[in-house]
Amino acid sequence: MMKLMTSTFLAIALTAATANLAGADDGTATLTIEISSVAPSGGFVMVGVYDSETGWNDGTAVAGTRAAVDGDQITVVFEDLPAGTYGVKMYHDVDADGEMDTNLMGIPSEPFAFSNNARGRFGPPEWTAAAFELAADGSVHSVSFE
Amino acid sequence: MATTSRREALKLLAAAGGVAAMPMSARARQADPVFADYQAASQIDPWTLIVRDAPADGFDSQAALVSGAAPEGLTGTLFRNGPGRFSRQGWRYRHWFDGDGFLQAWDLRPDGLRHRGRFIETDKWQAEQAADRFIVPALASVPPQPGGLSGPDDMNVANTSVLLLGDELLALWEGGSAWSVDPDSLESQGARRWGNGLDGVPFSAHPKREPDSGIVWNFGQDAIRDRMIIWKIGPDGTLLQAGVVGDVPGGMVHDFVITEHSLVFLVGNYRFQQMRLPFLDSFAFDAEAPMIAIAIDKSDWTRRRTWELPPGFLFHFGGAWEEADGTIRLDAALSQDARFAMAGAYDIMRGQAETQTDSQARHMQVTLAPGGRSRIESLGDGYIEFPQVDPRRTGLRRRETWHIAWDSDQPRGATRIERRNLHTGGHDVFDHGEAVFVEEPLFIPASPVAPEGEGWIVHTALNSRVEQTELHAFNAQHLSDGPVASWRLPYACPFGFHGCWRSG
Repeated sequence: MMKLMTSTFLAIALTAATANLAGADDGTATLTIEISSVAPSGGFVMVGVYDSETGWNDGTAVAGTRAAVDGDQITVVFEDLPAGTYGVKMYHDVDADGEMDTNLMGIPSEPFAFSNNARGRFGPPEWTAAAFELAADGSVHSVSFE
Repeated sequence: MATTSRREALKLLAAAGGVAAMPMSARARQADPVFADYQAASQIDPWTLIVRDAPADGFDSQAALVSGAAPEGLTGTLFRNGPGRFSRQGWRYRHWFDGDGFLQAWDLRPDGLRHRGRFIETDKWQAEQAADRFIVPALASVPPQPGGLSGPDDMNVANTSVLLLGDELLALWEGGSAWSVDPDSLESQGARRWGNGLDGVPFSAHPKREPDSGIVWNFGQDAIRDRMIIWKIGPDGTLLQAGVVGDVPGGMVHDFVITEHSLVFLVGNYRFQQMRLPFLDSFAFDAEAPMIAIAIDKSDWTRRRTWELPPGFLFHFGGAWEEADGTIRLDAALSQDARFAMAGAYDIMRGQAETQTDSQARHMQVTLAPGGRSRIESLGDGYIEFPQVDPRRTGLRRRETWHIAWDSDQPRGATRIERRNLHTGGHDVFDHGEAVFVEEPLFIPASPVAPEGEGWIVHTALNSRVEQTELHAFNAQHLSDGPVASWRLPYACPFGFHGCWRSG
């Protein structure tokens, strides 16, 4: 049931470690993601940013980061992204083992969330539910783990 | 939630604010045909009380003894679980199995019979009770403006059965966690956590307890990936072992049986096809495939025997045992197709009984012999469900099965309680008559050392004539003598599915 979701999150973990954080073009924008209801305290929030439906579905992030959790809110900033349409996946690596933990059946056992607070049903949400616009002068996007 | 450039934020919020606060329009509320059909049927047919919403704050009252006398020595609590909430805001679930779990406790004491009912406060129940609307996609229904799902426990209704495990009462479903309940206060205590990567893993509704060791076996199905998890739990609730067994076809497996050496599954032809919402729509009846029997070695879960049987479907087994040569004998309520799950359980939600007779279960004995040979034989005429055994003979050779029974001219279901001798074919029947619809009969041994089959049969029933729920107790060996005692509540309760008994 949750295989797709699990593999997607594993892809975040891999991509986030290697993603190119800085685009160089002029006219790029800053994406600020305000993340709330982060619990329990500790560990890291792993964030992956996607710029296309294809990337969203196959888990190819254009940017990613790992943010230490200290309290129930975190803000992460991605600079120098071209203005356009994006989707964000994140999970809370509570035990800081670098992996999205799952139970024996492969169902995620660590908190996860998506842009637009979109929620999937038996898997991650569709790109169309999670996609949002990054404006040329920057955008602030709020996501809650609740 | 909002994604905006900073300057757009206020404008968009102002535009969105007007509609966001309305969970459901008045037009949608009036338009639900299932709700309307049930309302109409409930005006003329008291049988529809079996799927009426229970009050949100439950029940608590004394039942009146209406005939006979309480049997001496029969003291304890009958716990029963079943769906109890079917509609909110004028919108009704499509399928009987969707309703929120409603726990009933019948405390039988020398001074009387107290009845309590209380909803199991799953995460789903709490969220929807607070919002006063259904939010979560259910097994077979998607409510208006549905929310998302993070995992199966988000839609867990804990509505199928109950298991006493140590000091806990577990309310069982089959798609996710067991829900822990205090057996005295009936207060919900949250999803049962096992640790070890097992939290949220399916824990099905028909666990089996070995009579001598007290070890509880259970399974959970992952139909999408043709897998099962096997659970082995100590009598005190300690997890002894759990693991995944692959290559189990994704049929809808509701129940299983144990023998001394094996865990036995019948995978019927109601098979997972592809993921759809609601989830039940992912299944279809595949009449081309065989029904598969799988016996997994209790001591080595990688060892199995399999058999191919004619197409069929079942919810419930009676019991099973294994002969010295490895032959497994089991009895079950077996049907030729899955139309009850696929049609009848939808019709009930509309208050309609007519199509229930299309496909019903019959009492069958299945023999699984060495070398893949098998045989299916009828144990009696008519339709049966909820087969029950003396729990002291679970997994062992035994004589008898008790069950409910009805005929093709009874579209509203069973009015009879029957006992069947598996070896002689002899049977013992009591018919409550056309107005009393019976629920699962539970066998309660007269004492721990009483001979096999000596004890009581206890069952609840809807008396549609007086529109009240009853509890009947029988001498398990003399059903045809009629109840030794009958009690009646001042109200009718929704039907439950399964129960368990706590002595004392």
